[in-house]
Amino acid sequence: MNQVSTAGAPPAVAEPGDATPAGRHGRLRGLAERNALLALLIVIGGFFSVYPGSAEMFFTPENLSVLLGNQAVVALLALAVLLPLVSNYFDFSLGAIAATSTVLSAGLMSRNGAPLWLAILAGVLLGGAIGFVNGLLVTRFRLNSFVATLGMATLLGGVVQWYTGGQTIITGISDGLIDFGSATWLGLPRVVYVVVVVAAVLWYVLVHTPFGRTLYAIGANPRSAKLLGIPADRNVHLSFVLAGLIAGVVGVLQLARTGGATADSGTSILFPALAAAFLGATAVRPGFFNVVGTLIGVLLVSVSVSGLTLAGASAWVSPVFNGAALLVAVGLSSYLGRHRGVAAQ
Amino acid sequence: MPAAAAVRLTGLTRSFGATRALDGADLTLRPGTVHALLGGNGSGKSTAIKILAGAYLADGGTIEVGASVFEATGYTARLGRDAGLRFVHQDLGLFGELSIAENFALDHGWPTAAGARIRWSVLRARVAALLERYEIDASPDAPVGELRPAQRTMVAIARAVQDDEGVDRVLILDEPTAALPQHESELLLRSVRRRADLGQTVLIVSHRMQEVLSVADDYTIFRDGRTVARLVDATPTEDELISHMTGRAVSRAGACDTPDAADPARDTPDLVLEVRELVSGPLAGVDLSVRAGEVVGIAGLVGSGRTSLLKTIFGQHAPAAGVIRIAGREQGSRDAVGRRMAEGVAYLPEDRLGEAALNGLTVVENLSASVLRSFWGLWGMSRRAERDQAGGLVGRFKIKTASIDAVFGALSGGNQQKVILARWLRRRPRLLLLDEPTQGVDVMSRRDIYAAIRDAAAQGCAVLVTSSDFVELCTLCDRVVVLQKGRTAAQVAGAALTVDHLTALTQSAVLIEGANL
Repeated sequence: MNQVSTAGAPPAVAEPGDATPAGRHGRLRGLAERNALLALLIVIGGFFSVYPGSAEMFFTPENLSVLLGNQAVVALLALAVLLPLVSNYFDFSLGAIAATSTVLSAGLMSRNGAPLWLAILAGVLLGGAIGFVNGLLVTRFRLNSFVATLGMATLLGGVVQWYTGGQTIITGISDGLIDFGSATWLGLPRVVYVVVVVAAVLWYVLVHTPFGRTLYAIGANPRSAKLLGIPADRNVHLSFVLAGLIAGVVGVLQLARTGGATADSGTSILFPALAAAFLGATAVRPGFFNVVGTLIGVLLVSVSVSGLTLAGASAWVSPVFNGAALLVAVGLSSYLGRHRGVAAQ
Repeated sequence: MPAAAAVRLTGLTRSFGATRALDGADLTLRPGTVHALLGGNGSGKSTAIKILAGAYLADGGTIEVGASVFEATGYTARLGRDAGLRFVHQDLGLFGELSIAENFALDHGWPTAAGARIRWSVLRARVAALLERYEIDASPDAPVGELRPAQRTMVAIARAVQDDEGVDRVLILDEPTAALPQHESELLLRSVRRRADLGQTVLIVSHRMQEVLSVADDYTIFRDGRTVARLVDATPTEDELISHMTGRAVSRAGACDTPDAADPARDTPDLVLEVRELVSGPLAGVDLSVRAGEVVGIAGLVGSGRTSLLKTIFGQHAPAAGVIRIAGREQGSRDAVGRRMAEGVAYLPEDRLGEAALNGLTVVENLSASVLRSFWGLWGMSRRAERDQAGGLVGRFKIKTASIDAVFGALSGGNQQKVILARWLRRRPRLLLLDEPTQGVDVMSRRDIYAAIRDAAAQGCAVLVTSSDFVELCTLCDRVVVLQKGRTAAQVAGAALTVDHLTALTQSAVLIEGANL
């Protein structure tokens, strides 16, 4: 149980009443559905804690700290991905937005000698600005979000190449930032606290504000939402901007963790983040994208991969696991969605 | 000469629960004629067409098509098609973005050469010949969406009978002109007439009396599931047809029951809704007033602009011209739905699943969606208040649900509608707009919904309701406004508000002109 309280730190923001049972006779089934992912996380964590190949290394403060620190970036990006998904919109450019912010922050410090606060601010605001453009394309010009953000991701990948000239920016980056990226606080990497704060705010926004509730309503039926006086376009647009801002924070954290900006397109962290968001939609509030489920999803994937690596599995295991988890998650969540809407068809 | 019939239905019966939609109806089509099938709402004519199309199975009777005789209980769409029946429904089933040639080929198959390669030149030539034969002035490569409405219907007709080189096919047109403006329907009917003159047998179902009179040779009139009149090679008057449909003689004087042809509600202080010269989509100048506590119905055929009127009042469509005043304040068109809601307008759309339901969400969430802001405080959304109030609404509106956390989509149609109604009535609206409020709703729920509407009216809410169910309008409304071709054509209230009278008013343009004199 000690395992849960450590690895499960972020879910501390969960509220049990958050979940919606599926009716009196389905209560038990609903309970099982909501907690299946958490149970799986505990089982996998427990397994690697006792499995001879990984037991020695896995359940140590060092490993858990590294694990959480490495996953902070993915967790935060998963939270960004979540926002448009709630209203049924994809944003595939969030990984590329993060990469662009990393490069801009690094470049401003390295090439222009900008102070740290300005570099961070510029990185985060750039994310928001790109999110604004995405939202404009989707809500104003009615482009398919899937294609529009894929195009944006490709475009940003090119911009990153151009700006860096394919070189990694490592000089002139503020030591303060790099220290922040590697330092711990109360035994946990500091970046984890950033994730917890963002998650708490996002949870409040989605569950406890009329704005968040309208996003779910738009996801359920955009036409009905409009006829309820919900400014659907404006709210969806705002969700893209917020997602962009969070991706900007991801970019800065990425810089803090790695101490440099590579000419990377950001897809390597986007797909684990997407997997986590879809996994999250099978838990806590099955059939709906939600903050707590997403954090459990991130932990599930990272605990599994870490355990497998320690147990001696090869490097290819991690992407295979991520991909398989994404497939299972999408399959499960669409099954759950169908199950819920069965009488409506 | 009984053998000469192209189609003959004999003793057709079909019940839905306790309702006998068809009760031994007969219909005989002579070859090479245009035959009009007429009847008011609930007369059974739609059921008969659906049985012919194979969408419903009859309980009894026989269906003859040409030389083939079928027991109606074993009749299928396939049998009808093989025997030569061709349907063109109101929704034409064309693909607007594809070319005429592609639309033809999708129905009839593609001419192919070796290697399954499409022989476009053959297809084009064949379609061009068909278009010429059907006098459609368009290129086979033109996208169907670019054609004018009458042409589109003709393309659908040509597509339906394209494999027919002879004339032994029977063309069945279900409300072909309902969605067309007048000059387009004239064009279409002229084309249909020419096909018939060339020997094509046509069965036409239409509500528009004058159009039918201009094109049909024979008439069959259904009432209460039975054939009440059969006119062969006749030129009846509109009054005759209507008296057959309603079962009583039409008195022209009876149409002018409202002494003041204008609104009785005009200029009274408690006027909630005032609509003047409203032009929008199919609406061509609508005048309307509703007072507080009054239930006003809107009757009209499909295409008369019923739904557009409500959508425009609610701000979903911006009006092209005219004035909408709510509680005396003139309404603009910016952020219209939100503003209207702030003015206290509520709208229950016709398409419950498409435009009202939040399907995957729970009953509580569906109920709260109209008043989200009221639950928001320092500590976020007050879940307890939300649930307590939802529980109260479920009781008050007699919503049958396993729990307030049940998924909306799992409720029955009637209970879904009660949830939507409760969602709006909890806002205590000043003006309630209802579009087909009991469509797909069972009898028990219907009673509850009527009670809720009356209750709201009794508390001073102005109600505007459209329905194609005239019994509903007569039960629910203080006054009914008849829309025709986008204009308010007549008003009925008091003792004159009867189903027969509404049927007569909506069917007849002549009568309405009389009423407006």
